[in-house]
Amino acid sequence: MANSYLEPILIRAEARVEEAILSNIIETRSPKDDVEISSFPIAVMLVAASANSHLKRRYAVAEAKRVSNLLKDESEEKIAAVARNFNWNIKIVKFNVDALTYNFALSFPHFLRNAATIQDAKWKLINRLMLNGEVYLTKNEASRLLQEEVRRYIEGKLNTEVGALPQNVMERVERLKRLFNEIKGKIPSEEIPKEVMSDAFPPCIRELRKSALAGRHISHVGRFTLTSFLINSGMTVENVIECFRPASDFSERMTRYQVEHIAGGRGSRTKYIPPKCDTLRTHGVCPGMDEICSNIHHPLTYYKRKLRTIKTAAKTPTVPRE
Amino acid sequence: MNKIETKAFIQEKFAEYYRLNSASIDPPSSLANREFAFLLFKERMMLRHKGVKNAEDLRTLLKTVMPSDVYYSSAHYEKPEEEMEAKGWLGADLVFDIDADHIPTPCGKQHDTWLCNNCGETGQGAHPEKCPKCKGLKFDDKSWLCEMCLESAKRETLKLIDVLTRDFGLSPQEMTVAFSGHRGYHVHVEDEVVQTLDQMARKEIVDYMIGIGLEPRLHGLEGDLGPNLEEAGWRGRIAKGTYEILLNTNAEQLEKMGLKQNIVNSLINQRDKILESWKSRGPWRMKIVSSESWKKIVQKAIENQSVKIDTVVTTDIHRLIRLTNTLHGKTGLKKIHVSASDIERFDPLKDAIAFKEDKISLVVFEAPEFRLGDERYGPFKNIEVELPTAAALFLLCKGAAQVKEEH
Repeated sequence: MANSYLEPILIRAEARVEEAILSNIIETRSPKDDVEISSFPIAVMLVAASANSHLKRRYAVAEAKRVSNLLKDESEEKIAAVARNFNWNIKIVKFNVDALTYNFALSFPHFLRNAATIQDAKWKLINRLMLNGEVYLTKNEASRLLQEEVRRYIEGKLNTEVGALPQNVMERVERLKRLFNEIKGKIPSEEIPKEVMSDAFPPCIRELRKSALAGRHISHVGRFTLTSFLINSGMTVENVIECFRPASDFSERMTRYQVEHIAGGRGSRTKYIPPKCDTLRTHGVCPGMDEICSNIHHPLTYYKRKLRTIKTAAKTPTVPRE
Repeated sequence: MNKIETKAFIQEKFAEYYRLNSASIDPPSSLANREFAFLLFKERMMLRHKGVKNAEDLRTLLKTVMPSDVYYSSAHYEKPEEEMEAKGWLGADLVFDIDADHIPTPCGKQHDTWLCNNCGETGQGAHPEKCPKCKGLKFDDKSWLCEMCLESAKRETLKLIDVLTRDFGLSPQEMTVAFSGHRGYHVHVEDEVVQTLDQMARKEIVDYMIGIGLEPRLHGLEGDLGPNLEEAGWRGRIAKGTYEILLNTNAEQLEKMGLKQNIVNSLINQRDKILESWKSRGPWRMKIVSSESWKKIVQKAIENQSVKIDTVVTTDIHRLIRLTNTLHGKTGLKKIHVSASDIERFDPLKDAIAFKEDKISLVVFEAPEFRLGDERYGPFKNIEVELPTAAALFLLCKGAAQVKEEH
């Protein structure tokens, strides 16, 4: 790989990954087409060799965004061709509603596969125009949706096994890993303290806990949400079991089994986390949002935020007495 | 007969049904990839992770296990007999469950009863938060089913079929509709395109049905603009729901939506003018209603137009579903297919009857009046009666009666 013909390709590949790390998107390109094209599989190899799942994700998103941005300026036919490459069932249409022009009709399973992970309200199926199994999309929307498909495609490539690489290549991989860790280190990650602070629980958990302690019936989704939240907030299995004791059909054996399972102590050994806010709304567990709720998507994020505000309030010096 | 003997009696009747009708029990599609489960009478325990090779195998199992309820997985597995983690999930049918439990019905479920575990106080409908007598919090609930419950469930099923057809583009051949044998209906979609949808995707379909997360501005409700009656999807449903509210709702109901007295009055006084407006661009630009009040009306319209499905059943990709033509342990009625085009005429209390011969003598503790087939029975209270097998089993399964001792 120390070959002078390959060197520019390797340099460009490293630059692609570096740009992904620093800017979350890749916008530059090599003036030489052959270098640009060949650098992609090499960049994929570098990232795959890093064996860092966060870096893989970051790189896949950045490359996918680049593809999506390029597609926005292409013709409908070109976009449809790319989509069909991913087996999308898509039609070119021209359909005006209000001030919008829809250019594509996409079968709903393909829409859902790619849109369900996008957080914005306009990507919820219920907020789309759907007719006869087809969801209507503008050109920009079709490109945005393809971004998700491309991201998954690249993530798949990044997860393939990489054999031993020459030392000069591994040095680049290590350099990229260091850079990524440096950048990531700047974003403070919020840790959950050991002590459980029930004052910082979100409204849904407060409601569920109140119902449990009063012995009222709680739905299956509700019980799972409460248990997994409490376990993740640091509560012990014993204390979680106590919350359910007042239920009329309480069975210590069954409850212990379920709580331990959710805590990761049995069977699959995975520790479960509570469902997202969106899912809690679907199943009628969300009792209505407060101010913090409108800025978060997950009950545990609420908990971390609220803990932060409680801590800041505690640290704020009181006015000294004269 | 005591409680245990009565249970054995019901089991014997169920077993007899499976002996005589085994030819009618058809296995689901992709039989070899489904998990089967049987709820056992005596132990009240679920026998799970059973695999079935062919129809004959299944029929033999029913005759030997003599279960109270029979289920199969909506999911397809590589190895259906393994533990959950090792089954190898291949896909799952898209399943909808409509149950009177999730629908506000005109009967108000007054036929359901509760019993306070602490002081023995009883009452009708859903149990209160606290016992009015002793403030106790624990209750035993007993559910009943009436024609109004079943009719409400049927209306919701028709709404569901309408959305699946128009919006999701599914043909009647791609949907299987069935009466559950108790208080509701199941709709199955086995089409290849839905098989591999994950939980997130299915949750989006649920939200589409129940109207969760709908943002009216994304359906053209902005400023003084709004959707029209003939439009497709939720745009049309918002318009239709709003139209129906403005056409049918009285002052009291409008006030309940949180509308102010003067707005309620204008809506009622100008009803003709409002209805006329739908012929052009709808009532949205009429100044009599503020945008805040439109929001309240539209919210109610969405609620009315939404389909009240059980959210958990559709999002669960490992769900067990009752097998068609098997008996429901709570009623002795069978789960039965209904053709989507015939559902209006379908009579669950007649068409789902599994036992058509003989009579049984019972002691009935308490039961409201009910219909089965063309006959009406009851109300009963602490009385000995002789009833046709279907009606007798219905009361026995509901725990409202015991078999009379023969002397």
